[in-house]
Amino acid sequence: MKITGEHQLAAPASEVWKKILDPRILERITPGIKTLEEKGPDHYKAISEVKLGPVKGRFEGDLFIRDKEEGKKCKVVLDQKSKLGNALAEIGMELVPVSERETLIKYSGDARISGMLARMGQRVLGGVVKTLSKQFFEALEKEL
Amino acid sequence: MGNFIGKSVKRKEDVRFLTGKGRYTDDIKLPGMTHAAFVRSPYAHAKILNIDTSAALRAEGVVAIFTGSDECGNYGVPCGWQVNFKNGETMREPQQPLLAKGKVRYVGEAVAIVIAETLEQARDAAELVEVDYEELPAVTNPKEAMQDGAPLVHDQWPDNRAFDWCIGNDRAEVEKALASAHHVTELEYVNQRLAPNAIEPRSYIADYNVAEDKWTLYTSTQNPHLIRLLLCAFALGIPEHKVRVVSYDVGGGFGSKIFHYTQEALLTWVTKQIGRPVKWTADRSEAFLTDAHGRDHVVKAKMGFDKEGKIVALLADEYCAMGAYLSTFAPAIPTYLHGTLFQGLYTTPLIHLDVTAPFTHTVPVDAYRGAGRPEATYLLERLIETGAKEMGMDPADIRFKNFIPAFDGVNQPGYQTQVALQYDSGNYAPVLKRALEMVDYENFRKEQAEARKQGKLLGIGISTYIEACGIAPSAVVGALGARAGLYEVGEVRVQPTGKVSIYTGSHAHGQGHETTFAQIVADKLGISIEDVEIIHGDSEQSAFGMGTYGSRSLAVGGSAIVKSIEKVLEKGAKIAAHKLEAAVEDLEYADGKWTVKGTDKSISFGDVALTAYVPHDYPEGVEPGLDFSSFYDPVNFTYPFGAHIAVVEVCPDTGKVTLKRFVTCDDVGNVINPMIVDGQVHGGVVQGIGQALLEGVVYDENGQMVSGSYMDYAMPRADDVPMIETDRTVTPCPHNPLGVKGAGEAGTIGATPAVVNAVVDALWHLGVRDIAMPLTPARVWAAMQGKS
Repeated sequence: MKITGEHQLAAPASEVWKKILDPRILERITPGIKTLEEKGPDHYKAISEVKLGPVKGRFEGDLFIRDKEEGKKCKVVLDQKSKLGNALAEIGMELVPVSERETLIKYSGDARISGMLARMGQRVLGGVVKTLSKQFFEALEKEL
Repeated sequence: MGNFIGKSVKRKEDVRFLTGKGRYTDDIKLPGMTHAAFVRSPYAHAKILNIDTSAALRAEGVVAIFTGSDECGNYGVPCGWQVNFKNGETMREPQQPLLAKGKVRYVGEAVAIVIAETLEQARDAAELVEVDYEELPAVTNPKEAMQDGAPLVHDQWPDNRAFDWCIGNDRAEVEKALASAHHVTELEYVNQRLAPNAIEPRSYIADYNVAEDKWTLYTSTQNPHLIRLLLCAFALGIPEHKVRVVSYDVGGGFGSKIFHYTQEALLTWVTKQIGRPVKWTADRSEAFLTDAHGRDHVVKAKMGFDKEGKIVALLADEYCAMGAYLSTFAPAIPTYLHGTLFQGLYTTPLIHLDVTAPFTHTVPVDAYRGAGRPEATYLLERLIETGAKEMGMDPADIRFKNFIPAFDGVNQPGYQTQVALQYDSGNYAPVLKRALEMVDYENFRKEQAEARKQGKLLGIGISTYIEACGIAPSAVVGALGARAGLYEVGEVRVQPTGKVSIYTGSHAHGQGHETTFAQIVADKLGISIEDVEIIHGDSEQSAFGMGTYGSRSLAVGGSAIVKSIEKVLEKGAKIAAHKLEAAVEDLEYADGKWTVKGTDKSISFGDVALTAYVPHDYPEGVEPGLDFSSFYDPVNFTYPFGAHIAVVEVCPDTGKVTLKRFVTCDDVGNVINPMIVDGQVHGGVVQGIGQALLEGVVYDENGQMVSGSYMDYAMPRADDVPMIETDRTVTPCPHNPLGVKGAGEAGTIGATPAVVNAVVDALWHLGVRDIAMPLTPARVWAAMQGKS
């Protein structure tokens, strides 16, 4: 499934960059993430819990930050496994300064789910992604 | 002779079904029985990099875990029907392994089996099995599977083609006729993939008895003897006389329980390894994922007409999905059970069908109620209906113009089609005439015009059909690629007290054999229906059998029983003649007794039976006992036919289709139990309506099944269907002793195109020409907006 969107934040790009790449903050603001544990540079072990329509799963797997361009863009790769099926998301993020105090985050990417997760949850995936993104940015705003 | 044939006798078996006393496989609990759960692939196509069972093996209650690296990974289940490429080469036949080895090829393919003391323990432990996959690109659409660069399902072949095939007249000749036709109607559509959805999920128990060195497999199958043969001779290579296959009550099959599934063989292997019985019952999710699906044809078809509306030629190209492996009957479905029906009820002089059957990254596709024939009927009936409308002709008239003239198969020969079959007997105009009468066709058109003025969208759709049933003649199906014979076995065992046990190789999973077959026996023997017991579903009771599919039970299985009854009466007459001190020729049999013609001297069936088993005063040269078995192998298929008409109303605001009426006039030859035939038609019609309006298996672009539960796969419910109005004509089958043709699939075959034709009829004036099935409100609405 394609995921695209944008969100404007009342903070300079450099601050947004710092926050979204801080694992402690990411752990706090990303809906569903229970723990984020550093395994290496830009590589984390992520444990999450997500409810997708009628199925609720506990996921475990890797989170990578790739193709980093300091203060401008990066790609988040989330490779998660669960008993209900697996999820793989690759989301490119770009920070576009709107003014000195405002930044537009543009994101676009692809999420794939498999197994029972896909069978039971595919239909609601779009809605869930929308809700989770909204929650994420609301929480991020509070951190800024 | 008696009073039972043609009567709506209430079904004997319903008492146990309706009171929860049925004996389904999952009801059986054996001492020491273990439970199995499967670890299944979440991917449509992936390499298996590693399977770690260590945590699962430590889990509470776990007895054993097996994967494709164990011995069972070397075994696979066979395909029962061979179709050759057009160039004569044998079809490509991959092994369908009991557990995936190296690679998985569809979502839900089994990777490991976990055996535990309880079902919950097995399921919990299955979740602890860690499998590392490398996901690979997948292809699920049969047409896309044949494009250059499509991901390969089986690496050993250069493309995904399992086989290609054609039937009918020379293609160039057909194309020439189309080029010079007065009018050509062309349709491109998908006959969508369906999940069978029997109410009882598949269930198996395998039990190896070390003391007897014997296996018993309890299985929810439509054909226990065939499963035993495939299991012993092909899948596992174990001795057939050491295996008993039992299939008591089965809660619906619709084709999906014909096939020999990997789980049957795997459990049979497992029980000997662990020395205990093992049970597995699919949950609904596993049923969606692993029951063989039906249909899935991508079609391009043309029908050419002359000025008067006579069909001059028919040409079709189809891509028909096989799934990841070849299921038991899979290659036969889009070929010999499909292309051979392209004549329909019409005199079309030139017909050609080209089929390409690719492997796809999905569960195998095989027979589903109607199996190939609903797809053929859909093609014919959508084309002729559209052709009529395009030429400004009445859709009923055009059919009458094209019908094959009546022939009874006795005084007139059978009708030789352009596509191999010879129809047995047929009289086609009366079924359509009667259906039109029932629906009051003339008046409907006025009503429709009137309704349109008020903004209401009414539509009427006709479909006529023919099907090849009573699937048999062994020599014929053998020549067409079947790897088994297709006769049936019927044994009549008369007990000393005159009670009768019938052992049939046919199998009931809802059809009502225990009633219909008992009616035949009671009628022919002139005894009470309570004195007849029908026994089926146990390979150690019935001598042999080919099971139930292709509407064959009555035409083939019933005929085998009749043959044995004739033998019983012939021998009985000898015993009666001896007792009555008369000549056999002077006896007549009626009302359960032999009477010396013109006298009141008689002896009852019961007394003759007793004499046969207590042969103190007995004719010379006659063996004791009264027990006969017959193998019946008919000379031809049977060809039931009929006309279905649907009346629909489409909501102009939402596109929702409401079925106002559904009318059928079927001809299934002679009828033994009209109530049961009506029931078969009702159920079949509802399944056909399901395909037209509601059902469809959907895989996403990664090969994930996204319609794997009843939230996303819509089945027809009571409020989706109107009262079904049925009638019949009777054109007896000329070649079987009962004159019957079979009624199990008729409804499904006729209903689907009738409904779609009706919806298109309702919207024709808006420019709608075709809508992809299922006709959901969203699709119908989009078509109304010119967006389909």
